[in-house]
Amino acid sequence: MVSYTLKRVGAALLTLLLIMAITFFLMNAIPGSPFLTEKSTPQQIALANAKYGLDKPLIVQLKNYVVNYLKGDLGTSLKMQEGTPVKDIIFHQGKFVLSIKLGLISLAVAIIIGIPLGCIAAYNRGTWLDGFLRVMTTVGVAIPGFVLATLLLATFAVKLHILPTNSGQLTDWKSYIMPIISMSFYYVCYVAKLTRTSMLDAINQDYIRTARAKGVKTKMIVLKHALRNSLIPVITYLGPVTAGIITGSFVVESTFQIPGLGKYYVQCVMSRDYPVIMATTVVLSALVIFMNLVVDIAYKIVDPRITLTNKEA
Amino acid sequence: MRKLIALLLALAMVFSLAACSSSEPTPAEPAEGGEEQGAAEPFVVDACIASEPETIDVSLISSVDGSTYVQHMFENLMKYAQTDEHPADDPNMYMTEVVPGQAASYTVSDDGLVYTFTLRDDIFWSDGQPVTANDWVYSWRRLVNPDTAADYGYFLDGIVVNAAAIQAGEKAPEELGIKALDDKTLEISLESACPYFLEVCAFASLMPMREDVVEGNDNWTDPANIVVNGPYIISEWVHDSYIKMVPNEQYYDAANLGPDEIVWHLSDSETAILSSYQNGEYDFIESFPTDMIESLQSSGDCFINPYVGTYYLYLNCDKIPSWKVRAAMTISVDRDNIVKNVTQGGQVPATGFVASGILDSTGQDFAYGVSELGAIYNWLSQQYPDADLTTYAGKCELAKQLYDEAVADGEWDANTTVVYNFNTSDTHKAIAEACGHDWQTVLGMNITLENQEWATYTNGLGEHAFGVARLGWIADYNDPITYLELMVTGNAYNYGLYSDPDFDAAISSAKATAAGAERDAMLYEAEETLFGEGGFPVLPVYYYTNMYCANGISNMGYTPMGYFFMQYATPAE
Repeated sequence: MVSYTLKRVGAALLTLLLIMAITFFLMNAIPGSPFLTEKSTPQQIALANAKYGLDKPLIVQLKNYVVNYLKGDLGTSLKMQEGTPVKDIIFHQGKFVLSIKLGLISLAVAIIIGIPLGCIAAYNRGTWLDGFLRVMTTVGVAIPGFVLATLLLATFAVKLHILPTNSGQLTDWKSYIMPIISMSFYYVCYVAKLTRTSMLDAINQDYIRTARAKGVKTKMIVLKHALRNSLIPVITYLGPVTAGIITGSFVVESTFQIPGLGKYYVQCVMSRDYPVIMATTVVLSALVIFMNLVVDIAYKIVDPRITLTNKEA
Repeated sequence: MRKLIALLLALAMVFSLAACSSSEPTPAEPAEGGEEQGAAEPFVVDACIASEPETIDVSLISSVDGSTYVQHMFENLMKYAQTDEHPADDPNMYMTEVVPGQAASYTVSDDGLVYTFTLRDDIFWSDGQPVTANDWVYSWRRLVNPDTAADYGYFLDGIVVNAAAIQAGEKAPEELGIKALDDKTLEISLESACPYFLEVCAFASLMPMREDVVEGNDNWTDPANIVVNGPYIISEWVHDSYIKMVPNEQYYDAANLGPDEIVWHLSDSETAILSSYQNGEYDFIESFPTDMIESLQSSGDCFINPYVGTYYLYLNCDKIPSWKVRAAMTISVDRDNIVKNVTQGGQVPATGFVASGILDSTGQDFAYGVSELGAIYNWLSQQYPDADLTTYAGKCELAKQLYDEAVADGEWDANTTVVYNFNTSDTHKAIAEACGHDWQTVLGMNITLENQEWATYTNGLGEHAFGVARLGWIADYNDPITYLELMVTGNAYNYGLYSDPDFDAAISSAKATAAGAERDAMLYEAEETLFGEGGFPVLPVYYYTNMYCANGISNMGYTPMGYFFMQYATPAE
């Protein structure tokens, strides 16, 4: 188990290093500079490049990034908050926590509401309730996030004045409502559709027929036997979604004026703030890798039969 | 089920990670002042003019929003003071003029080359220390020091002695033409007489700074560290959320300040900003969706201020070498259509490159100084007296004539496709489409529109990789030079690669001449050359305006350079 864990950690670190290198070369390959403005002169840009070491060969810059990261130094922002340490921007200004908070609550809502909705639809297959849920989830998957967010904003904040337009730091329960609905609605609908489909597949399996033949009540069959097996594809889907839902909150964060990392991630690319691009990519990649690592190790703990290397296989 | 348990375990770990790393700033309600029971309710202004500023470091700022925050926290030798005049039809907004600020008085030498400022006796930094002349010496030297790499590092080039040489690394910052004669007397030496120098002395990037506060402290602008000499001081800064300012009790006019708090909300989503305004959470906003302007104006919320800026297109002289084609393109654009149907913000169709609002030495608006037609049409009207340049149809007729002449003379291949670049924006796109349509229908030109995101776009400008490209230029100070200088041969902003020795000579002479009729004539002549034979490197589209929505606030200040002032704001009756 120790050797397995060490291998996985080693692979994770290597992956992170590769991501750093790829991100570094990609961001340097696209045209532009963090110092380009309507009024910046080539002389100004050259001075700024020299000041921040951007005039050095790329390989030297990459080496500096890696060395500094190993020391825990993520660099300083060149553009977004000029001169501010990136570590402070991501962690001490609460951006990371805000995005994680928003993402995980949305994910929890997707699971807590989506799975039961899928079960209800499958349980009532062919009825009006199933039809209604199918239409609702199809519409939900089709509505773009920004449309829903704007609709909620216009209705509950501007018209009815019952919710704040500016969710800011998510300091009270009211400020959570619209961002969470906007972020989770798609996933609720998708998880419900996925659950319904996989549950209908499970219901047609032999062991379910056997249970029916034995006279087990339908409700028990659904909850105890079919649900367990039908959740596997849902879980498979939720893994990568966890990363996406945490990092992909740009629209919601912009609409509800939440200073989270999702919004920042997009903005730093647009403004070519190289140290911030590198740091946010590494932090978010580390999060995704960490999630996968934890899941893999947890699999191994709960099911020792699981092997993940060719050799072990 | 085991996989579910595994996933839940993983989720639990991330939850706990989030909980452990929670170090978010103290929650705050910007709209509430935490007043004592029974005390009068504090007057709080909730404004939103932009998203998080890149910086509020005096030397490093280059944006209007960053400068606005600095103008509220610092005060220069000169300052913007409110007049009785309103910039638009909003009775709550007042124009400003440049008057002595931290300076009690000043003298100018007979040749206009040496300014001597005497500072007020009652000026103190927010930590109680007196403001001294050395605080300007330090700040100005820091700005021009190449190690600072400030966007506005060039700002004093050609104005203050040795500024350009210091920027180029040829001289030390200590050789800048500014010195403290004593704690209260500051002497500034200029390279040539500068008619707009007092306005320069109100500029945000030239505010005084305390060396002991700034030097060696990268975080000196944090609320915990900042020391200011202006009316307000930052009390709280929640990044990407809001900046809260409270009165600086050490300010000499603290007793007359308006708001108990000014909260600058930081957002860039126009829809969200407007929603917050409509929900009563914001009192003042500067950006909102264009399609809402009409309804906001009719509801009495939206006002349009003059703004000294020109929206223009570069016509690349290398890609479009025929001046006749460039002239034809310039006069065949239907500017009235663009301002009425595309931008819809009360913009004024441009008649020259120098923005309306820039004045000559007699106080006349430079844009209309020679004739009502404007600089674009002055020379053409003399060369083609039969053309009717007062109507769009007449302009199109002359445009077609010029274009056909260029084709007939072999100066231009009618099959050439011109690439029009613009940075991503619905407005820029709509303007590009309108111009492209005019050139295709009036002249029969082939136009391709190319949209690029900002960083790529500006990179392309520097490489002159375009046929036509847009830009906007907001004046830094009220003098035609701020525009005309851009078109001098070799100027970094001369993206269209225009070069005319006569134009260069006129600008050079004007810069060395004191304000007056002679200098005015040189500048008018220079702009006429720009739109004369061999010219038309730029296509001015419209003069900017500055829109805002305000509710419940009175006594606000404004300068057409784009700064709003809230320090003396009061609740509207």
